[in-house]
Order: sequence, then structure tokens, then C-alpha cells
Amino acid sequence: MSESLYTEIIIDEGKNPQNHGTIENPDISHHDSNPTCGDQITLQMSIKDELIADVKWHRHTEEGKTAEDRNKNCTICMACTSVLTQMIKGKDLDYARNLKKEELLSELGLEYLLKQSPIRIKCALLSLKVLKFGLYSYLAKKLKDSSSLDNLKEEAAHLY
Amino acid sequence: MQRTKLSIENVRKDFAILQRKVHDNKPLVYLDNASTTQKPKQVIDALINYYNNYNANIHRTVYSIGEEATEAYEKTRDKVAKFLNIPMREEIIFVRGTTEGINLVAYAWGRKHIKEGDIIVTTEYEHHSNIVPWQLLVKEKGAKLEYIGVDDNGELILEHLDTYLATGKVKLVTFSLMSNVLGTITDAEKIISKCKEKGVKTLVDAAQAVPHLSVDVEKLGCDFFAFSGHKMLGPTGIGVLWVRRDVLETMDPFHGGGDMIREVHKYEATWNDLPYKFEAGTPNIADVIGFGAAIDYLSELGMDNVRKHEMELTKYTLEKMSQIKGITIYGTRDISKRGGVISFNFHDVHPHDVATIVDGEGIAIRSGHHCAQVLMERLDVAATNRVSFYIYNTKEDVDKLVQSLSKVSELYKL
Ligand SMILES: Cc1ncc(COP(=O)(O)O)c(C=O)c1O
Ligand SMILES: [Zn+2]
Repeated sequence: MSESLYTEIIIDEGKNPQNHGTIENPDISHHDSNPTCGDQITLQMSIKDELIADVKWHRHTEEGKTAEDRNKNCTICMACTSVLTQMIKGKDLDYARNLKKEELLSELGLEYLLKQSPIRIKCALLSLKVLKFGLYSYLAKKLKDSSSLDNLKEEAAHLY
Repeated sequence: MQRTKLSIENVRKDFAILQRKVHDNKPLVYLDNASTTQKPKQVIDALINYYNNYNANIHRTVYSIGEEATEAYEKTRDKVAKFLNIPMREEIIFVRGTTEGINLVAYAWGRKHIKEGDIIVTTEYEHHSNIVPWQLLVKEKGAKLEYIGVDDNGELILEHLDTYLATGKVKLVTFSLMSNVLGTITDAEKIISKCKEKGVKTLVDAAQAVPHLSVDVEKLGCDFFAFSGHKMLGPTGIGVLWVRRDVLETMDPFHGGGDMIREVHKYEATWNDLPYKFEAGTPNIADVIGFGAAIDYLSELGMDNVRKHEMELTKYTLEKMSQIKGITIYGTRDISKRGGVISFNFHDVHPHDVATIVDGEGIAIRSGHHCAQVLMERLDVAATNRVSFYIYNTKEDVDKLVQSLSKVSELYKL
């Protein structure tokens, strides 16, 4: 598995993840972690006219600890977070809401983790889980359409 | 019957799993023994023999296979007593493992004896199983949990204990005899004698110690002592809690049910003798019997030989590793003060990535927080890699691990 897992693109993205940092007064901010490996992500977004105008991620929930924390998530987690934030930046909320895990994984050639690695798939999908829960909390305040909201929550809760 | 030196070659023949290949024909190198050890043929055979030949419930059956099962089950209790120099077999309670043993103490002793304002002292290098049960207890009782700190050498700062003891409020001091992350062997004698002076009870988490060191419970002098069978060649789901008799007699039952009672009436019940008062329900008969075979196996090898072998491997590994650029090793370098558990980080590559890459070479090491997040915070890391040895590991295993780290360097262009 390791041969195919640690491709150049994953290592490059993981070493230099994009959109790392914080947003002041974000419209959406959500935090979650993987208890098994210690990966942590706070994902923040600012929304303008139904568009994700900006997106940033960091590890810690406390302020002032974001600068040095980049390498404390694993490479798989950081590569996926980096790619996910690039995919959704500038897109509308519906795009992010409907984004499938297979789409994210295929960007990095990681679809096979779904079948082969019940442990590392959590690293790969943590950022997507945080995104979906963040969107759910945000939309819950705005939308009346509760069935599609329930779907979103279901999906986030059973991502892996 | 004890041998004078381990014959690793012979030992390895007893472990079928060591012949296994992983990832396209790479021989399995198993270096995660602090998590759980592999099982020799003798232990697996004991399980098969029980199920094939005398599977029956114990203590309540009068027919022959029931008698045989009861005898085999109880024999393991005697083996534990002999292995650890425990004078009274009634003090030995079979539990699921260390975790259940500590929870039993927190529930059946703690809930009765801990009061508001009391202090329980643990240490910064404990496994979560020796932290969380106490957190639950002190919350319920309005008591307080305090920590003995860890110095930069990975050893406990015992002055902290003095400070807590001086308050006169400490009721229990609980610590692991060997750290599952740093390998540090705790100066238990010193801690226990300080506590005894003040009449404070002590609990020893021996999950990492009993499998690797020769331990004498009577000499140790603690009040509670817990460990797990699966970390010492035995099956999963079986462990031991030992409690000093006079303390055990003050404790209420843990679980209520079959076997733990003497008489049950509609609105009240009386309790069975020790240790059965604390072994409610049909116990893990097969695994207790398998555990007995594991103790036989280790007794025959001799725990001093086990320790000698692991010290040699630890020394070799520390020397080899210190020559690698970019490696950070945690804990003391003095091998007389540590067991065969070595935690390290490699450059700033996350341990999960290191472990996955070396797994590609067939090498199983642990990565993560090792159920010791309080210690991770103290070391200021999110996680570490950890190798841990047992009787079947060789210097070649270590060489392969060191070699596989160059694979990490290559991929990460370090
Ligand atoms: C020091 C220590 N204490 C407690 C435990 C918990 O043991 P178990 O999971 O067998 O209950 C472990 C095992 O990981 C350990 O290393
Ligand atoms: Zn991870």
C-alpha cells in the first residue's frame, strides 16, 4: 500500500498544504479530530452571496497556536485538506454540499483507501467531514428544507 | 527447569505468525509488543484442547468435564500466584484486562472510600486506563486528581509526590511500573515506602512490567496490582487484579450476578467468598486456561532471561538509532532504568506516515498517542512512533527497521 499511497503529489501537497491559516469573523467555523491518530482540523469559511469567498484551515481551536502546528497532522490528512479547500474556494454552497467523497479521493488517487484501509481513510476524509458538519450548522439556521438538511447530516455522520 | 539463556531460534519456531508474509512477500517483522504480543503454539493448543475436550461451565457443574474445566481454570490462579510471589490465591481476581482491573478498584474501592476533598495522585506517563477512571471518580465525589510530573529524562519527579503527601489529603497513589511510551521503569519501592509511611494506598499498573520483568508482588508491598494476559503471550480478554486481602475485604461487589453470591432472596443477597465475590457471571474460562499456558511458557524461559534479551536489543537499537540523522528519541538512555519500549520521531514526518511506509516493508510499529495524551502534551508532540520488543525479536529485526527509515527519507526527500 505504501508505495502507491505516498505519491509525489501527496507528499508535495502534504508538505505545503494550501489555505492554512485563520479567517477573522468567519461565517462558518467547525472543528473535529481523529481520536486514533490525533489529526485535528478547524475549517473556516466566509460566505458572500451563496459563494465560498474564502476558506482556511488550522489545527488548534485556541488562537495564537496556528503558526507552528502545520506538521502535526499527517501527510494524508493535510494533502486531502489542501486539495479540498482548493476545490471549494470560490464555488457555491450547493457544490460543497453535494461534493462526494469519491470526487475528493480521486483527485489524489486515493479511492482504494475506502476498501483497503479503514484506519487511514479517516485521515483522508476528516476535512470533508468537518466541511459537511460546518455546512450543516450554517444551513440549519437559514434553510427550511429539513429533509435535504437531514441528508447532509446523515452523510457527514457516516462518511467513514 | 529454567534455562540460562534464551534460544531465540527455538522460541521463534513456536510462533507460526512469524512465518507470515505481508505486502508482496515481505516477512512480517512484529515490533508492537507493547500493544499486544503474539501467541505461541502452546497457548493456542491449550485453547483448542479445552474447546475440543473439556468445554463446560465451571464451579456449578458436577459432571466430569465440568470438574476438569474448573480444575484447569483454578490452576491458572495458582500459576499466577507462583509467578508473581503472591501468598494468597484468594487475592487474585480474573478480569478482562488492566483496564477492567483499574475500573474495578475505582468502582468497588474508590466509591466507598474516596470522599470530598480527598486527593488521588497519578502520573504524567499513565495510560488513559489509569487516568480516566480516576477522573470519573473524583468528579462524582468532589475529590481531586493530581499528577506527578515527568522530567526531561523521562523519569518521574518524586518531589511532586512529597508535596501532595504533605497535604495529608492523599488517599491513593496510582502509577505504572513501566511506561508504555518511554519504557521508563518506575522507582516503585521508593513511592510505595513514602506512601506507606503516611498510610496511603498504592495501585501498580503492571501492564508493561509483568510481561518483561521479574516481579515480586509481596516484596513490592502495594495494595492493588493489575495487568493483562494478552501482553504476555496470553489470549485477549483476560487479565488479573490483585488486591491485598485486608483491603479486598472492605470492598463492595463490582458486578452482581451468578457465582458471586452465597444466597439470593427476593430483596437481598449475601456474597460468595473471595475471590469469587468479584468474579460475577460465567468467566472467560478458555482464555484463563490459555493464559495459564502462557505463564508456563514464560516461567520455563525465565523472566531474567527475557529481561536480559530485551536489554541487549534495547541497547543495540538505541546505539543504531542515535546514528540516524533527524531522529529524536524520547526517554532515558540508561538501559538499566528502561524496558524494551522506544518512542521516537523522524524529522517532522508524522508518525502515522512513518508507520505506513515501514509497514510497506513488512514492519509493524505503532504510531499515535499510545493512549497517553497527557504525556504527549508533556513531550509537546501530537504523536510518536514506538517500537517494542519481545522474546522472539532479533537484531535483524532492528536492522530492517533502521533500513526502512531510509525509505521514508527517500520519499520525503529528507
Ligand atoms: C501501561 C498500560 N496500562 C494499561 C493498559 C491497558 O491494558 P488493556 O488494554 O489490556 O486493558 C496498557 C495497554 O495498552 C498499558 O500499556
Ligand atoms: Zn492521520
